[in-house]
Amino acid sequence: MVTMSDHRRAEGELEQSPWETASGAFTAWRAGDAAAVDDLVTAMTPVLWHVVRAYGHDRQSAEDVVATTWLGFVRLHHTIQDPRAVAAWLITSARRGAAEHARKARRASPVEDEKLAAVLPDEESAEALAVLDDDAARLWRAVASVDERCRKLLRVIAFMERPDYQSLSQELDMPVGSIGPTRARCLAKVRTALTNEGGGR
Amino acid sequence: MKDDSLLDDLREMWLLADPPPPGLAAGMIATVAAADLDSEWELLVLVRDSADEPAAQVRGLASARILYFTAAEGWSLDAEIDGDQVRGQLLDFDGDMGSVEVAVEARDGESVTSGLDEVGFFAITAEVSGEIRFTVSNGTGSASSRWIEV
Repeated sequence: MVTMSDHRRAEGELEQSPWETASGAFTAWRAGDAAAVDDLVTAMTPVLWHVVRAYGHDRQSAEDVVATTWLGFVRLHHTIQDPRAVAAWLITSARRGAAEHARKARRASPVEDEKLAAVLPDEESAEALAVLDDDAARLWRAVASVDERCRKLLRVIAFMERPDYQSLSQELDMPVGSIGPTRARCLAKVRTALTNEGGGR
Repeated sequence: MKDDSLLDDLREMWLLADPPPPGLAAGMIATVAAADLDSEWELLVLVRDSADEPAAQVRGLASARILYFTAAEGWSLDAEIDGDQVRGQLLDFDGDMGSVEVAVEARDGESVTSGLDEVGFFAITAEVSGEIRFTVSNGTGSASSRWIEV
C-alpha cells in the first residue's frame, strides 16, 4: 500500500515540514482542539529522536530523553508565547535534556561508557547500512569518518528549522561566531570523504 | 545552497539509517495524554477546608478560611485567607525555598505572586472573591489546585 507520506517522499518533497505541522497543531490545540496535540507529538517525535541521538545516546536513553522532553512540554507549554516557536522550543529542550543526560552518564559510569562507545557504533553501523541504498550508505560512511563534534553539529542542525546559533554555542561549547564556519568546514569534510570514496557532490 | 542540499541529503540519510523505534510516537502520545490528564487533575489536592468543618461554622466568629493542600511529590501548602490577606506556608518541601513562588489566581486571569521566606512562609495582599486557585511553582514545574469558591 502506498500511503500519503510514501507518495510525498517518492516525489522527494514533503508538502509540509514537521516544523510547520507542529506550529499548526499547537495553535489548534491551544484553541481547544484536544486531538491536535497528537499531531504535534507525531510530527515532532522523530525530529526530537534525531536531535537526541546526535548526542550519542543509545536508543533506550534517547527514548527516555524524548519522553522527558514531552513531559516538560506538558508542564511548560504555557510559557511558549509564539506558537510558531513550538518546534524550536521542543528542540532546544531536547538538546538540553540530551546534554544533561550525557553529563550524568559520564559522571555515573565513565568506564562503562567507553566500553559501550567502543561496541555500539559497529553494531549500529551494520544495522544502518543494511537499510540504505548505495548513495545513502556512502553518505553514512562519510559522516562516520568525520570527527564526533562535526557529526553532532551536522545532525542537530539538519533537524532544526532555523538553527539557533546562540544556544547551540553554549551546548556544543563553541563560540557563537564559529558555528557557521564550523558547519561549513564539517560539510566540506563530509564532501572530501565522499570524494575519497569516489562519489563526490 | 550546495551546503543546504548536502544537509538535506544527510537528514534523509539519518531518517532512513536510524529511525525512531516503531511505536515511539504512539508511546509519546500516550505519555502526553497521561501527563496532561494528571495536570488537569488538580496536582495540588485540597485535603482540608475550614469551610467544610462544623466546628468552624459553629465558631462563627472566625473570619479566616483555612485551606490545606498536598502535592503528589510529598510537600503541602497551608493557606489562610483573611479579608484581603492570604498567608501561609509551604511544608516538607525538599528543594530550594528561594526558587519557589506561590500565586493566587482569579478566574478573570488576575494573579498575585509571592516568593517564600527561608522557612517557607508567604504573604499576599489581594482582593480575593469569587473563585480562586493556588499555583506553586519553582524553576522546574508547577502545581495548581482546582478552583475554590471563597
